[in-house]
Amino acid sequence: MIADFFNINTGSTEPIYRQLIEQVRRRVASGQLTAGQEMPSVREVALALAVHPMTISKAYSMMEAQGLLQRRRGLSMVIAAQHIAAKSTESRVELLRPTLEKAASETSQLELRPAQALQLFKQILREGANK
Amino acid sequence: MNANQASTQLTPLAHQKSTQPVVQLQDISLAYDAHQVLKSLNWQLLPGQVVGLLGRNGAGKTTLLETMLGLREAATGTVTLFDQPVQSLTDDNRARIGYVPQQSDLFQGFTPRQLLAYFRSFYPRWNEAKVDGLMSRWALPLDLPIGKLSGGQQQRLSIVRALAHEPDLLVLDEPVASLDPAGRRDFLRELVDQVLERGTTVIFSTHILSDLERVAFNVAFLSEGRISVQAPLDELLDQVKSISAPESVLQTWVSRHGGDVLSKKKLDNGHARWLVRLSTPIHLMDASIEMASVNLEDLFMELTQ
Repeated sequence: MIADFFNINTGSTEPIYRQLIEQVRRRVASGQLTAGQEMPSVREVALALAVHPMTISKAYSMMEAQGLLQRRRGLSMVIAAQHIAAKSTESRVELLRPTLEKAASETSQLELRPAQALQLFKQILREGANK
Repeated sequence: MNANQASTQLTPLAHQKSTQPVVQLQDISLAYDAHQVLKSLNWQLLPGQVVGLLGRNGAGKTTLLETMLGLREAATGTVTLFDQPVQSLTDDNRARIGYVPQQSDLFQGFTPRQLLAYFRSFYPRWNEAKVDGLMSRWALPLDLPIGKLSGGQQQRLSIVRALAHEPDLLVLDEPVASLDPAGRRDFLRELVDQVLERGTTVIFSTHILSDLERVAFNVAFLSEGRISVQAPLDELLDQVKSISAPESVLQTWVSRHGGDVLSKKKLDNGHARWLVRLSTPIHLMDASIEMASVNLEDLFMELTQ
């Protein structure tokens, strides 16, 4: 179940702790994770993903500092109280900005026209929806 | 940059009391005939660190690990394990080490049951429940001669043997070369469990970067007989950028923005590509240079030359 909760891309330029943070951030934004929901323990995640426990605690601490998670004394971490509902479409779209900015800069390095890149993005979205 | 500058102290896990290095190598040099393998190498490991050792084939990883364990004598320098010179390590401290060598050193005529009984007699501590659990989970036959087991099975048995006495220092030289992906994942979980339960210090050499990325919080690169860089992998991925432009432009850029230059490479078009480690993130405004993030494979290619 935890292995479904988080998934890891090795070989990425994004360190594992940041992959975990962004996965929680997106699920909080979409309302899949809401206030009070319990997170699996560091130990459970470390064993399920076969990842060093310090990587998981680093991700959890940063999520706490960023207001995504709350620590309950002696208990597990939970999704922080302010996240009661899905974010507006606008702010969810904004979460895509860093990824798309990167794609945009590669598009111009490859000297492609916007329409050519957008066509591929649309196709990828359709493929994802059909899965 | 030497290893001392590059290494970052880690907060040890809660159950570790000491932050004295478990392993300390100072000024280690070693040559095979005219071939200098280790050159004034310095290296240090703190309790609970899991360090992935990376280097090209022939870079001297096995030599380094064997020297660390006192199985090979260096021409110069000192090796200290648990605060003791490795040549005069007490039996108690020797029993705190687990080692999985690259070449299987198991007695081929023994059965796994006989082998485990034999090793058990050497160690004051021996976790029978763990051994039984691993033997059955990894489906290892107890009563076949070891010589009849597959390469992967022998490797698993070697891992069971190294974990059975609950070592404080675990040294693994290419431990997963003959395991399939499922076997490797199983083994990685076992390592994580060791770290969680016992705060074991682990050194782990492998060419399978995806495995290393999961369990090695720290990575060390062996190049030209030295540990060229050792740091938490997270930090390297966050801080190291690959920048390319004509060399003079890169020179100016680095002197303006600071950062450690980790490697330099000339490209065909008169440009150069440097890896720089930046302590503060920089938002690139300068169109005259290209900047990209790197992954572990990029680091391996550039830092193990």
